[in-house]
Amino acid sequence: MTASAVLAVAALTVTTVPAQAFNPRSNEPGITATTIKLGITSPLTGIAAPGYNKIPGAMKAYFDYVNANGGVNGRKITLVSKDDQYIPTTAVAKANELILRDKVFALVGTLGTASTKALTSSTQLSRRGIPSLFVNTGWSGFADKKAYPTTFAILPSYQMEAKIIAKFVKDKYAGKKIALIYQDDDFGRDALAGFKTAGLAFDLAIPYASGAQALPATGAGWITRLKAAAPDVTVMFGVSSATTALLGAAAQGGWVGKTQFILGSVGGDATTIANTSRALVPLLTGAKGLSFAPAPTDSSDEYIKLFQTIYAAAQPSQTFDNNVVAGMSNAFLAVQAIKAAGPKLTRKGLINAIETKGATLANPFLTPLGYSTTSHVGATGYWFGTYNSAGALTPDGGKYTVYTTDSGTGPVVESTYKRPAMPAKGL
Amino acid sequence: MKISLKSRIVSVFAVTAIAGTVMVGAPTVASATPQCATANFVTSCAGVGADGAPYTFIAPANFNGTVFVYSHGLRPAIAIPATLGVPLGFGGAVPVSNAAEPAPRAAEGDMSVITKLVGQGYGVAGSGFSRQGVNATEALAANKELIATFKTKFPTTKTVIAWGQSLGALHAQMLAEKNPELVDGVILGCPAANPQNALMAFFGDSLYGFKALFDPTIKVGGYSTDPVIRQQEQLLNIQKILVVLGKLGAEIANPVAASTWPDTASPAGKALAAAGIPARSALLTVGLMAGAGTRSENVDGTSAPSAATAETYPLAIAPALAVLQNMGKILNYGTFLIADGELLAGGKVYDNTATDYAARVAADADLFGFALSGNTAVAAILGAINATPREKADPAALAKVPALIGLSGKIAKPTIVFQAENDPFVPAAIVQWYNDSYVEQYAAEKMKAMEEAKKNRNYVAPKNNLITLWAKTGAKYSTFTATGAPNLSAKAGPGTGHCLWTSAQWLAAADLMLATLKDDKRPLGGKIATAARKVGLSYDNKFQVPAFKALG
Repeated sequence: MTASAVLAVAALTVTTVPAQAFNPRSNEPGITATTIKLGITSPLTGIAAPGYNKIPGAMKAYFDYVNANGGVNGRKITLVSKDDQYIPTTAVAKANELILRDKVFALVGTLGTASTKALTSSTQLSRRGIPSLFVNTGWSGFADKKAYPTTFAILPSYQMEAKIIAKFVKDKYAGKKIALIYQDDDFGRDALAGFKTAGLAFDLAIPYASGAQALPATGAGWITRLKAAAPDVTVMFGVSSATTALLGAAAQGGWVGKTQFILGSVGGDATTIANTSRALVPLLTGAKGLSFAPAPTDSSDEYIKLFQTIYAAAQPSQTFDNNVVAGMSNAFLAVQAIKAAGPKLTRKGLINAIETKGATLANPFLTPLGYSTTSHVGATGYWFGTYNSAGALTPDGGKYTVYTTDSGTGPVVESTYKRPAMPAKGL
Repeated sequence: MKISLKSRIVSVFAVTAIAGTVMVGAPTVASATPQCATANFVTSCAGVGADGAPYTFIAPANFNGTVFVYSHGLRPAIAIPATLGVPLGFGGAVPVSNAAEPAPRAAEGDMSVITKLVGQGYGVAGSGFSRQGVNATEALAANKELIATFKTKFPTTKTVIAWGQSLGALHAQMLAEKNPELVDGVILGCPAANPQNALMAFFGDSLYGFKALFDPTIKVGGYSTDPVIRQQEQLLNIQKILVVLGKLGAEIANPVAASTWPDTASPAGKALAAAGIPARSALLTVGLMAGAGTRSENVDGTSAPSAATAETYPLAIAPALAVLQNMGKILNYGTFLIADGELLAGGKVYDNTATDYAARVAADADLFGFALSGNTAVAAILGAINATPREKADPAALAKVPALIGLSGKIAKPTIVFQAENDPFVPAAIVQWYNDSYVEQYAAEKMKAMEEAKKNRNYVAPKNNLITLWAKTGAKYSTFTATGAPNLSAKAGPGTGHCLWTSAQWLAAADLMLATLKDDKRPLGGKIATAARKVGLSYDNKFQVPAFKALG
């Protein structure tokens, strides 16, 4: 053996024994010449399930559509779905099952800041080199490539959202008394940072511990404080179950129509609210909300039209709503990323494809995508709308006026982004 | 392993002899020569070392030249009365004992490890050491002397495998580090180690948190140098800890914030109670700042007593309950170790003057948002803790700690480590430290070998000397009583508890070590994985647990 050969062997051995570092291999779990196995853990049962439990089904509907049209680069996608009940420790256990037992190629669309943080850390996704595609949380930390090298966000960050809400409030409700209810964790911390950056101060700020909204006393306590403060505008920056608690307590406490509600994008899901009490949905009427995807009722949008068609065939008894749009958009972007990674698909190659081509991937969103070799942020803006009595959010002024910003100190500006045309047949 | 007919006959008698546990009585004074007796082809010896450490060893007539030298785990350096021995799980009073233990499980009356090994022609040996507590110095001396004595009695001895559990694993590793010429292989079960004083900090941080919030009279350190007073202080401390744990446990599931605090709470704790912050949130905060597990022997973190509490219980109650159960061991054994460490080092050995507890808690705060009652509550709890005076160590005493219980972690001999993922008392972070240190060591050895290859055009790869086996924690194992209370006396869940190893697991580790030494290289990964799986362990090089928080 020549010296160079000896050194080559030695160098190879250095990288493989002991196997402690991420070492991409051509023969990776969850992938064959004809299949790709993806996994998702999300709340299918429990307090957060109403609404969110439609996401895996929506994803599967789109993957099945792609499979029926030949798959991605010749590979058909299977999706393994687990129920984590929105409990972080359960999410860890389910992610472990996906990785170790089901041997998925990548995770996709995991849901919730705490759950996603927990499973990302505990299952050592970055150390194992396992991609975590398009996590359904806007916590700004997931955009940090250094901290989460294999994780990609899809939502705009909560800091962006708070900055955009702040501009909206300052423009529309200058001089008014403003209250805030927020989740007292990273979710809310992001929002507080965004509001502070944008210079929006609140006359009353009410934190709640994630999960405490399940206790009746929590919502009642909010109304007591809101009654005392009598704000003109109340911003709810929490999950939809918290909005449900707020509306329920407002109805019980005789405090309906006393304030202008502004619901953060995570907290305005009418399906979730209706699943607790359909009678609460009309209380959304007139509330302001925001989104970065086209409205699910907007059949004039080519993506929405395609998704409606696919979903109606796959899940004819289910309502097409924001959660379905979220799930199908997630699946759509995953397919585009896998396609961009090429036929010699590896985990590392997929991550590289999103970093280098992600910003130009076709997608349904009305804002630019922020993926780059330095950032893993997804969408970057929002449009505002108003809820009707059925809980549908329609854009103010009859058109999508999108505002974009960053997670730092950049300004909030009206976006000039023009979404590229959808690929043929949405594939 | 092939055994001759004669050897098989000897082995049958040997097994019979061990099963009858015929042991010679231990002499009571130091003697260079052990007292031995042979029956049914098995020779059992007992003696007392130069420093008074009792020892015993056993070998069959067909002794094959390999002896396993065992180091037992921590025994308290003070006698514990029954009033505390029972709640601490000892079942009664615990006298100070230097009794020799020749192999794992023997102290529990399970002789199957000895029976199997001796039946196969191996020798087993173990000391009781001349003192208990933090006794690494005494253990090192005793083990060296024991090996020499064994070799004198059995001159055909060629191979020595040092093994031990918990603090005994530290002794085995220390023997390999300090006297590599005496040891051929090392087996470490649930090893204790104290990298950068992290283990001491783990115990100290927990005690400090309890002192700051739940009982300001709990001692973190500063024990008397008078042996009688020191003993009384330790026992009193444990008594106080048990009182606090009992009160926290009685009301941990109570959602009414103000009623959940022990009446022994510090002024800072009482202020938190008045602010409506539940004691369970404070308890969990202490656990997170120390690095205590949020799963425990009987709390899996996801189960609930009823469908109605399927979410609120895991989110709000379970993490704190797991910390409570883990603290039962951390605080009490921590009291023993810190008190004994101070005695040996000559001053206070725990220091948290520079510890950033907020940073430690922040890493986990969102995962346990409901149980912690949100960021605002966490900030208030940390504020209360930060208002409590910090503990300052005696620099001279602190400097002596590495010599007392320090290890380099350098793996110079074939080594097998096995560890439960959720060990309450000796955190799995220690094994992670071993693994991480060895990755660096191995990479350096590779580089050195490559440099050598450049010179002599002959590359010789260094041996990979470390095998780590994990007892991974199961997903669901919690049980509840008919009234919905957590059953904290049930059998520990898989991958939890401290050193709850079976004889089969010890023997599997022994077999892997013997195979490694026989072939002068470790078995292939598949063989290791299969052997591990058969005894409920896992061989997974990509598995990793969080590092010691005290290591930063």
